[in-house]
Amino acid sequence: MTLLGLLERKPSYGYDLKRDYDGFFGRGKPLQFGQVYATLARLARDGKVAAGDSEPGGGPDRKRYFITEAGVAEVDAWLAETAEPEPHLQAVLFTKVILALLLGRPAESYLDAQRAAHLRRMRELTALKREGGPLDTYLADYGLFHLEADLRWIDMTAARLDKLAEEVRR
Amino acid sequence: MNGAGMNEGYVNENFVNEGCVLEAREIVKSFGSTPALRGASVAVGRGEILAVMGPSGSGKSTLLHCLAGILVPDGGQVLFGGQRLDTMKENPRSALRRDKFGFVFQFGQLVPELTAEENVALPLLLAGARRAEAVRKARAWFPRLGLDGLERNRSGEMSGGEAQRVALARGLVADPEVLFADEPTGSLDSLAGERVMDLLTTAARDQGTTVVLVTHEPRVAAYADREIIVRDGVVTTTPAAPAAAAAAASGTGRGGS
Amino acid sequence: MIRLAVRLTLNGGREAVTRLVITAVAVALGVGLLLAVLAADNAIGVQNLRTGWFQATGSTGSNVTRSINGTSRTQVSSRTPPASAPKASPEWWLSSYDEYNNQQIERVDVAALGPHAPVPPGITRLPGPGQYYASPALAALLRSVPAGQLADRYPGRLIGTIGPAALQSPGSLVIFVGRTPAQVARAPGAVRVTSIAIGFAPPDSGEGIAAVLGIVAIALLFPVLVFISTATRLAAARREQRFAAMRLAGATPRQVSVVATVEAAIAAIAGTAAGFALFFGFRSELARIPFSGQPFFPDDLRLSLPTIVVVALGIPVAAAVVAHVALRRVRISPLGTARRVRARRPSAWRTLPLLAGIGELIYFTAVGHPTTVKGQLWAYLGGGALTVAGLVIAGPWLTMAGSALLAGRASRPAGLLAARRLADDPKGAFRAISGLILAVFTATVAVGIISSMTENHALQTFGAAGRHILIAGLTGPRNLQDPNAAPGGVTVPASVTGRLLAVPGVSSVVVSHVPPAGTTADNLVDCGQLARLPVLGSCAPGASVAAFDLQPVGSTPGTRRTRVWPTVSISAARVDRLPASGLLVGTNGATATLEQARTIIETSFPLQASPVTVFDSQGQQLLAAWEQLAEVVILAGLPIAGCSLAVGVIAGLTDRKRPFSLLRLAGAPVGLLRRVVALESSVPLLAVAIVSAALGLLVAELFLNSQLGLNLRPPGPAYYGYVAGGVLLTLGIIAATFPLLSRVTGPEAARSE
Repeated sequence: MTLLGLLERKPSYGYDLKRDYDGFFGRGKPLQFGQVYATLARLARDGKVAAGDSEPGGGPDRKRYFITEAGVAEVDAWLAETAEPEPHLQAVLFTKVILALLLGRPAESYLDAQRAAHLRRMRELTALKREGGPLDTYLADYGLFHLEADLRWIDMTAARLDKLAEEVRR
Repeated sequence: MNGAGMNEGYVNENFVNEGCVLEAREIVKSFGSTPALRGASVAVGRGEILAVMGPSGSGKSTLLHCLAGILVPDGGQVLFGGQRLDTMKENPRSALRRDKFGFVFQFGQLVPELTAEENVALPLLLAGARRAEAVRKARAWFPRLGLDGLERNRSGEMSGGEAQRVALARGLVADPEVLFADEPTGSLDSLAGERVMDLLTTAARDQGTTVVLVTHEPRVAAYADREIIVRDGVVTTTPAAPAAAAAAASGTGRGGS
Repeated sequence: MIRLAVRLTLNGGREAVTRLVITAVAVALGVGLLLAVLAADNAIGVQNLRTGWFQATGSTGSNVTRSINGTSRTQVSSRTPPASAPKASPEWWLSSYDEYNNQQIERVDVAALGPHAPVPPGITRLPGPGQYYASPALAALLRSVPAGQLADRYPGRLIGTIGPAALQSPGSLVIFVGRTPAQVARAPGAVRVTSIAIGFAPPDSGEGIAAVLGIVAIALLFPVLVFISTATRLAAARREQRFAAMRLAGATPRQVSVVATVEAAIAAIAGTAAGFALFFGFRSELARIPFSGQPFFPDDLRLSLPTIVVVALGIPVAAAVVAHVALRRVRISPLGTARRVRARRPSAWRTLPLLAGIGELIYFTAVGHPTTVKGQLWAYLGGGALTVAGLVIAGPWLTMAGSALLAGRASRPAGLLAARRLADDPKGAFRAISGLILAVFTATVAVGIISSMTENHALQTFGAAGRHILIAGLTGPRNLQDPNAAPGGVTVPASVTGRLLAVPGVSSVVVSHVPPAGTTADNLVDCGQLARLPVLGSCAPGASVAAFDLQPVGSTPGTRRTRVWPTVSISAARVDRLPASGLLVGTNGATATLEQARTIIETSFPLQASPVTVFDSQGQQLLAAWEQLAEVVILAGLPIAGCSLAVGVIAGLTDRKRPFSLLRLAGAPVGLLRRVVALESSVPLLAVAIVSAALGLLVAELFLNSQLGLNLRPPGPAYYGYVAGGVLLTLGIIAATFPLLSRVTGPEAARSE
């Protein structure tokens, strides 16, 4: 999904895609070329991207890929949908925010929506604590604390969006 | 973003669908040249527990003060049970707060030289009850909130959690229509805070008291039925009061702010 | 460093500046009081020097009299023209006391015997026969009062007013009447003088008044000191925080000490300057207070230059030293002081000294007072001091006990809050009013004793009717050939009696006669006449002449009225022909009647001692003046204690700012807080005032009972008026803090979290 989003930004060669991905999202875990091209092939098969004319020399690395309308719609939908409020959400949310900034989408609203979802889940967990047994309480507390940690990150990020946007658009 | 989608699937079985008891419409309030609220609106349903969240300096305490009739907004309207609060004079407003509202603050509300039961009995005494009667009613709250044996203690002789529970008893002893809680667990550790929130929500639901709860902590807000976010003087996420949300879901919607 | 300290002090924020201002006000009050006392002490001396000439002239050969320092000086009148008259001419001098409407008139009849006779102070030349000089107050009186009541006594016309150099106070009534030498020479009591004793003090003055001044000073200084101490305690917690913050920022203890010292010095300097301004601004009002029995001229209240320098420099220096020493004892650590612990409750043992004092006084009443004067002094002063000290020591316990009692029974929230607060911190509450105890106690004791003594004095003799009897002692002219011969009596013409009886309000006239040689009685009186004034006593049934005693003051109370005068076997007709030794006139007590009768007697028998009523003694007036002074002490002491209370109340408010403002947020009306403040301050104040006054009356009763065998009479309405005035002023001061209440506990206080 991330690659699709990057492609929406501008059509790129596979090599450029990997480079961008590593720059923004890789952080010590660079993508394998094979993974890149496999994903691109799958996306093309699903009709979300289209390959442009090859340069002379052939091979998938010399193809320039574009995103299709279907692909754009999918990116939209993915961005808008909220993730399951599970802990360790950071990677997904982070990705969403960066992409949203890159693509000029309203990142703040996504964060608000996620916050509301988190709070809803926390309400459920709190109700569970009241009605459930002792074991449920411990589990619920664990969930609550981690959700809270996520929310803290959401608040912090929301406060720093401008700076982040600058950074990203360079 | 509209709010209708937010409240799907949410249920509060104690909620009495009678419409809203407390409402703020486009409130504007400044302190000197600093604007605190710039057109905030919120509707509180009867019997619901509403959390007011937001970063510090966002104006959430000011919103609470305007809703409770403590401050008169510079613009906009505040309605309680259909009655305009913002146009009332100081004395009737003060009497209204005394008779219909209860308050719990973050700390420091217990009068240090009175005993705990006298502190709890204060609202009743202020309303004119006789002393013996007031203290009797106050004492009934102590076992209910796990404060047995602390009736004769002063505030300096009990822990922070105990003191906040005494404050909670004081807020609820006169059976108010609305309980306003401003960071009630702000100065407590997690366990004590949880206990307070647990008791607060249980007691409020038992008595059918509406609760407006200002907090910046999500785990505290999780005890509420719904939350609104105040940011830069406006309410940004306003899921409408569930009655209106239900109406919205059935097509006669009301947009968010 | 000092400049920094000054900047810190003046910019320390509203609380610190308030503290500074209040401390300065307290210091100003203290300094003003101190200056007033010092000046009054000075003024009494100056006043005495001005007035001694009246009594001292001609007393023992006219030249030597003791001055107040005890060194005798001779002084020749400086009024005589110098050099050209090597020897001054003598003059006849007769000084006497006259009276109008209970006010004393000092009267001198002079007759010059030569061209360079000494001139009294205040005038430029001696009045001749048919002339007189009067003091400004007397001149005004002469103009306003009908001649038949006053002016007729002084033959001739007013030719000028007497200057201040001869007057004790601006309202003094003094008159110099010019006579012919022949008139004065034969008057009883006249002396020939060659100089006037200007610059001498009257014989027994000074010590008693100095003692009174000292007591007044202490009684008022105590409340002021309490006020100062309360003021410095204001915002003490914030001050400690500031100092701790400074230490944390790296300041050495010495530097912090400099800041504290400078702070104290600034408050003291401002207060001292204000105190001087207060003193000089109110000097003329101060002069009217009768410290010595008579008001001063404003100029009398002078301060010598050394005094001014010592006070102006000494107070700030003393304040700085005190601050420095006080701070040295408390080492301000960078972490500030620990959390305040609740003070220990006062124990019941505190009441012991009080009970001991009262017990001692009761013991002396029951058992009888010690025989020696010194023993009596120890008994009463000791008992009184023990009682007062006991009250101060027992105060916190009494406050705690009383308020705990109230708290148990209070039904309104305001009462509950106030009572619990008092029971919680009784020492703090009591401290502010402790200054009041001494003032109210001593003043009430004085008022109680004096008013009972004066009341009893009158009732001792003729009862209420005593004011209505005018008594004139008449002495015959001196025998110029044989000055040592006993003076005879005078003849009372029937016309005089007739004129007296013609005055509206005069009921009867009794003439007492000089007994013939060989009779043991002092005076003889016709029983028929005496029967018309039954208040003077009566004759034995059937008697026609009785022996009589002109002295108005009897020795045992109540005996006068029913006294039966011993019969003397002389016929009434013979007695009527004997020369008269005195006149007694029965009146209705109205001023017009009394003064008309007095004038008639004085004009008919000039140059005699003035007629007196029972209430004429100068001592009575002095006592009355001191009673008023005691009442003024109460009037002044109450508001000063009120200031301490107000400051204490404000401090208590800021302590409880948060719970009170949150209470207001929760809907408690501002009126509740006002009631709490009012109860917290006025209840202890009134309780202490009442208890001190009651104790004062008790001590007065015990003293009167055991010392004089008298019972306490309730003080007159003036006392209650002063007390009520003082209480109202105090309550007003407390009410002045109410606007502060609304501001301190407004919604803003709850916002700052």
